[in-house]
Amino acid sequence: MYNKKVRGVLIEGNKTYGQITDEILAPQERKAPSWWFVAMFISSLAMAMGAWAIWTTIVEGIGTWGVNNSIGWGWGIINFVWWIGIGHAGTAFSIFLLILRQKWRTSINRAAEAMTVVAVLCAGLFPMLHMGRIWMAFFIFPYPNSRGPLWVNFNSPLFWDVVAISTYLMASATFWYIGMIPDLATVRDRAKSKVKKAIYGFMAFGWVGTARSWLRFETAALIIGGLAAPLVIAVHSIVSMDFATSVMAGWHTTVFPPYFVIGAIFSGFAMVLTLMIIIRKAFKFQDFVTQGHLDAIARILTFISLIMGTAYTTEIFIAWYSGMEGEIYTFFHNRISGDHTKAFWTMVTCNAIIPQFFWFKKIRKNLTLVFIISIIINIGMWFERYVIVVTSLSKDYLPANWSEYSPTIVEIGTYVGTLGLFGLGVLLFIRYIPMMAMSELKVILKGTSILTNQKDHE
Amino acid sequence: MNNTNIFGIFDSEDMLVATVRNILDKGIKIKDVITPYPVEAVFHELKLKTRIPFAAYLYGVFGLLATFGFLYWTSVINYPLVYGGKPQNTLSFVIVIFVMVINITIAFTIITFFLREKKGPGAKPPYEYKGMTDDKYFIVIEKSGNINTEEVNKLLTSGGAIEVTEQ
Repeated sequence: MYNKKVRGVLIEGNKTYGQITDEILAPQERKAPSWWFVAMFISSLAMAMGAWAIWTTIVEGIGTWGVNNSIGWGWGIINFVWWIGIGHAGTAFSIFLLILRQKWRTSINRAAEAMTVVAVLCAGLFPMLHMGRIWMAFFIFPYPNSRGPLWVNFNSPLFWDVVAISTYLMASATFWYIGMIPDLATVRDRAKSKVKKAIYGFMAFGWVGTARSWLRFETAALIIGGLAAPLVIAVHSIVSMDFATSVMAGWHTTVFPPYFVIGAIFSGFAMVLTLMIIIRKAFKFQDFVTQGHLDAIARILTFISLIMGTAYTTEIFIAWYSGMEGEIYTFFHNRISGDHTKAFWTMVTCNAIIPQFFWFKKIRKNLTLVFIISIIINIGMWFERYVIVVTSLSKDYLPANWSEYSPTIVEIGTYVGTLGLFGLGVLLFIRYIPMMAMSELKVILKGTSILTNQKDHE
Repeated sequence: MNNTNIFGIFDSEDMLVATVRNILDKGIKIKDVITPYPVEAVFHELKLKTRIPFAAYLYGVFGLLATFGFLYWTSVINYPLVYGGKPQNTLSFVIVIFVMVINITIAFTIITFFLREKKGPGAKPPYEYKGMTDDKYFIVIEKSGNINTEEVNKLLTSGGAIEVTEQ
């Protein structure tokens, strides 16, 4: 029992190095399939709606949103936290697994990182829009000014957010790009048309892969990875402090930072799963993204789902056991029962209960079900943010302040717009950039083929 | 065009490593070894070292001092903001410092990497050959005065090179 092989073959089909290059680049070298254009069109439509919503918000003001004096944070912040959560996938995947020397990351990390970069861009849009006067957005940076000079409040979690998220965007984008350089060089060297060669040559930074370059490349990647791992924990802890440092019942909780970090990794991994199932199916990458890969992600999700369930229960238990009336009211009469029951129970069902089906091997092997559950998780995570933002604000300590909230079409439009932007980013990625890190796949090929040989001897 | 480099082209990692060792044993200098993916044995044979980790450490220290200095200067010296009698030089600086150390170290490490590599947008690749960055391995030896071309060619071919050429 202890000798059981944990991980199977990572690259199936006894491939040669040349085959890896050919097969990964094949989708880019043939014409784009028709579904790609359809998907681009739909994404552009969604983005057009987003553009209209952003235009309305900027020109007419934040009054076009459904937020009010009591519920000052609505869809804007819900979506911000949701996108940032999804944006944690790249780092969680690529960097935690890099540091832990988990070789199964290689066929997935590139796509996960691409997703991260686009998701963080989507996330960043919301706080800026929420400021109301987006042209004043530069006020959040500490720069010498004529107001005293009055500096920003360095003790505010909102400022920490600015620092952490811009650092995160910079770190994940550069990590992604540096990892991509050797593969861009491969595209350059294979390009037949002059234009393609020039463009990819420009982007490949003159890479050929000398031993010295590789050594520096690996070292730099490990350093950036090692630094970005604590960063990812910091980013979502800081996002949680936007809530936890207040005195609102349901927000003022010590469990918030780890709970948010885990939640972010949960939705990020779920999004990776959704995307990888699509990519694998659309481009026939079954040899690279094996059943074993998807199985590993599903297992991680099962475990994280347990932590989510524990966090939900802990919050409720502490609210009851501490005897603090405001919290008892929020958790028992405004979430478990009351006006927001639907959102609360959707959250619990989607995040803590449904992913538990992954315990069954049969379900993990049925990719349609895995795909559906991965989407359900992200719906659940959206509702988690809804529950946190709206329920606590809707009924605070002063009943005279109680209020209700429903989003307007403009708020919905900004959300649809970011979905479009995300779709567009991912579609451009799968069309123009090698979807998997070829050089990294080549590194693990040898180990995998040894595994295959062993299997033959068994 | 003057041919200045001898190229030995291999299609097996093991043969490449063995030949690199052989050539170095003969006291011939290898200019570059080009592989489609990092081969640690080659780093070992060529005795390559990098000081990027040490540089990164220095950048981290610089980031720590610079960020703390900036926060201290803005919040304690330049414009001390009094709210609720809280200390101006506060522990909550740790969070900004933590993130900025990461920020500065990553940014500077990347810059160092590109400067040391002399790479950047639009940089020209130093070599070009079919199969490079795909599935072929190359040993590049510079043709300088005291290099015996024939000996090198022989070493490369006997090591299993599928092709020996000059460029």
